[in-house]
Amino acid sequence: MNIWRIAVKELMMFRDVKMLVFMLATPVLLMLIMGSLLSSAFNGSVAVGDIRVLYSDHSEDGSIGADWELWLRQSGTENMVFEKFEGSDAEAMEGVRDGSYSGYAALNPSGFHYYGNSRSSIENSMVSGILSAFADRYKLSIAGAEPELESMVPGSYVKETRLKGSHMPAAMDYFAVAVTTMIILYSAATAGNLIDSERTRNTAIRLLASPISKGEIFVGKIVGTMVLNAGFIAMIMLISKYMYDANWGDNLPMVWLVLLSEIAFALSLGLGISYIVKGKASGIVIMTIIQLACFFGGSYYRIEDNGDFVSMLAPYSPLTWSNEALMDLIYGGETGAAITASALNLGVAAAMLLISAVMMRRREGL
Amino acid sequence: MNVLQLKKLTKKYGEFAAVDQLTLAVQEGEIFGLLGANGAGKSTTINMIASLIPITKGEIELLGKNIAKNGKFAKSNIGIVPQELAIYEDMTAYENVRFFAGLYGLRGPELKRRAEEALAFTGLSDKHRSYPRDFSGGMKRRLNIACAIAHRPKLIIMDEPTVGIDPHSRNYILNSVRKLNEMGSTIIYTSHYMEEVEELCTRIAILDHGKVIAEGTKAQLKSIITDQKEIRIDVRSATGLDTRKLSEIAGVRTVTVNDEQNSVSISTDAEVNILNRIIQGLMAADIEIRSVEESQPSLETVFLTLTGRSLRDS
Ligand SMILES: Nc1ncnc2c1ncn2[C@@H]1O[C@H](COP(=O)(O)OP(=O)(O)O)[C@@H](O)[C@H]1O
Ligand SMILES: [Mg+2]
Repeated sequence: MNIWRIAVKELMMFRDVKMLVFMLATPVLLMLIMGSLLSSAFNGSVAVGDIRVLYSDHSEDGSIGADWELWLRQSGTENMVFEKFEGSDAEAMEGVRDGSYSGYAALNPSGFHYYGNSRSSIENSMVSGILSAFADRYKLSIAGAEPELESMVPGSYVKETRLKGSHMPAAMDYFAVAVTTMIILYSAATAGNLIDSERTRNTAIRLLASPISKGEIFVGKIVGTMVLNAGFIAMIMLISKYMYDANWGDNLPMVWLVLLSEIAFALSLGLGISYIVKGKASGIVIMTIIQLACFFGGSYYRIEDNGDFVSMLAPYSPLTWSNEALMDLIYGGETGAAITASALNLGVAAAMLLISAVMMRRREGL
Repeated sequence: MNVLQLKKLTKKYGEFAAVDQLTLAVQEGEIFGLLGANGAGKSTTINMIASLIPITKGEIELLGKNIAKNGKFAKSNIGIVPQELAIYEDMTAYENVRFFAGLYGLRGPELKRRAEEALAFTGLSDKHRSYPRDFSGGMKRRLNIACAIAHRPKLIIMDEPTVGIDPHSRNYILNSVRKLNEMGSTIIYTSHYMEEVEELCTRIAILDHGKVIAEGTKAQLKSIITDQKEIRIDVRSATGLDTRKLSEIAGVRTVTVNDEQNSVSISTDAEVNILNRIIQGLMAADIEIRSVEESQPSLETVFLTLTGRSLRDS
C-alpha cells in the first residue's frame, strides 16, 4: 500500500503536458532525422575492412574449387580473403553467425549457395557480385557437359541466404528501434537523480519521519518511475508506428519484454551509480556511460560487423544486446536473442538494485 | 504526563558533540521552546527525536516508550515541520498534504477530510488546487506546516518555522501554533528569535554548544538574574554611538545598540543608580534621546548573561 502511494506520487509529479510534449518530440524528431535525412548514407558510407569469406568445394573432383581459385586470382579481389573450409555446412554457418566471417559460399556443381551474415550488408553484396560473375563463367565452361544448366535464368544460379533474418530493415525501421532503446537508456540519468531529488527538496526528511520504511520508499519510487517510462516508451512506439510506419514486428509481447527489461536496466544502472559514486560526479559518470553505450550500440548509425574498433566494442554496449535482439525478433522472428538480452538486462538491474539497497541501508538518510 | 523525555541524549560527529548529554522533559499540553543561537544543536536534537539521524548515546522516550525500540509508534505520533521547506512544487497544495498524511495510514474519505482541514487550518483553503511554485514564501511555510499536522500527531515539532517570512504569515503561524496547542497537541518550537519564544512558549530551554544551560518558565529564567536591571533608551538615531564610552561607566554591564529600532539597551548592576550618567554620556555624543525606560531583564539579557554572547550577533 505504501509502495503504491509512493509510486502514484511519482506519476503525479509528472503531469506537465509541455514537458511531455518536449520529451516525446526529442525521440520523434531524432527518428525523423536519422531515419530519413540520413537514409542515403545508411549502409552506404561505412568503411569496409578486410572481408573474410569461407567457401567449400562440393564437386567430386575438386574442379570447382580449382576454377574458383583461378578466377579469384584473375579478378584480383583486394580486401577479400577466401578461405577454403573442409568442415560441415553447419560449422561454417556458425562461423558466419558469430561474426568471424562475413559469409560462407557453398560451391556445388548444381548451384552455389551463399550464406551471408545479415549484419554485413555491404560485404554481402560484394561477395554476391563476385559469386554471380564466377557462376556465369562457370556455367559457360561446363555448358558442354551439363547442357540443362544453360536453361537457368542468369543470376539464379547463386542462391543467397541471409543467416539472420530474411530482409533488412529500412533506415526508418532501424532508427525507430535504435532511438527508442537509446531514449530508454537516457532514463538512467533521471534515475540517478531519483533519490537525490527527494534529498534536495528536503522531502526526504518527511518521508523518513513518516512510519514507512526506507525499503518501501525505495521500491515505490522505482516502480513509479518504471511505469512512467513504460507509458512514455509506449507512446513513442505508437507515434513511430503511425507517423513513420515503423516496423515493430509481429511479436509485440516479446518486443515489450526486451524494452521493459531495458527500462529496468537503465533505471537501476542510474540509481546504482548514484549510490556508488556520490555527489555531482555520479551524473557525469552516468552520462559518459550512456553516451559510450549509444555510440557503440548503434544508436547513431548502424554498426557493421567489419572488425573495426567500433564493431569490436559493440558487443559490450548494453544497447547492442537490446538492438540486436529486437532486430532478430522483428526481422527474423527469432526469440533466442530477445530472451538472452532480457535476461542480461534484468540480471544487471537486479545486481545494481542490490548494491543500491545495501548502500542505502548503511547510509544516514535516504 | 511526559510526552517526551530526553535522557543524556548525545550526538557526536567525530569528536565534536553537536548535542551533549541533553536531559529534558516535555509535558503534555506544553508549547516548549528550544532557544539557541545558530549551531547550538536545536536541529540535531529534533532530528534525533524524529528518528531522522541515529543517536550516538542516551535515550529518547515518547509517551513512555523508547523510540529506538518503538520506531513506528514514535513516528506515527510525531509531526515534524522541517527547518527547510519540504514540499513538492509540482503537486498541488492539496495533493502535497494528502500524500504526506497518507503515509501515516489515513485513507479514503477520512484522508480527504483531514487534508482539507489541515489546509483550512493554515489558511490555504482557497489555494487547494494551486501549485506551491506560485506561492509566496509565507504560504509555502504554511503549507510546510499543513503537511505535518494532517495526521493529528500528539507531538508537533517545529524547527524555526518563521525564518525569512513576511510579518503577516509570521503572525498566522504563531497563532496557528497556539490553536494547535489548544486543540490538544504538545508542541516543541525552536527558534533563535527571542521575542517569538518569549511570546509563545510556556516553558523554555536555552541551548548552547549542545547543552541545556537554563530551563524553566519565562519568570523562572528571568529570576536567574536578580542582580541586574535593564535600561532601554529610544533615540532619534543611534548610529555613530561609541558604546565603549558608555561601557566605561562604573556599574554598566553590557551595552547593545539596536539600529533598526533606534534604541540602546543597557544592563546595569541592580543596586546602582547611574541613569543620569548614562544620559549625560549619550548627550555628550550628540545623541537625541526620545524616551527612557527601566525594566526587568529580558530573555535576551538572560541569554547574554549565560552565554556571554548576544543571540542576535551569533
Ligand atoms: N552532519 C553533520 N556533520 C557534522 N557536523 C554537523 C552535522 N550536522 C550538524 N553539525 C554541527 O552540529 C552543530 C549543531 O547544528 P544544528 O543542530 O543544525 O544547530 P541549530 O539547529 O541549533 O542551528 C553545528 O555546529 C553544526 O555545524
Ligand atoms: Mg537548525
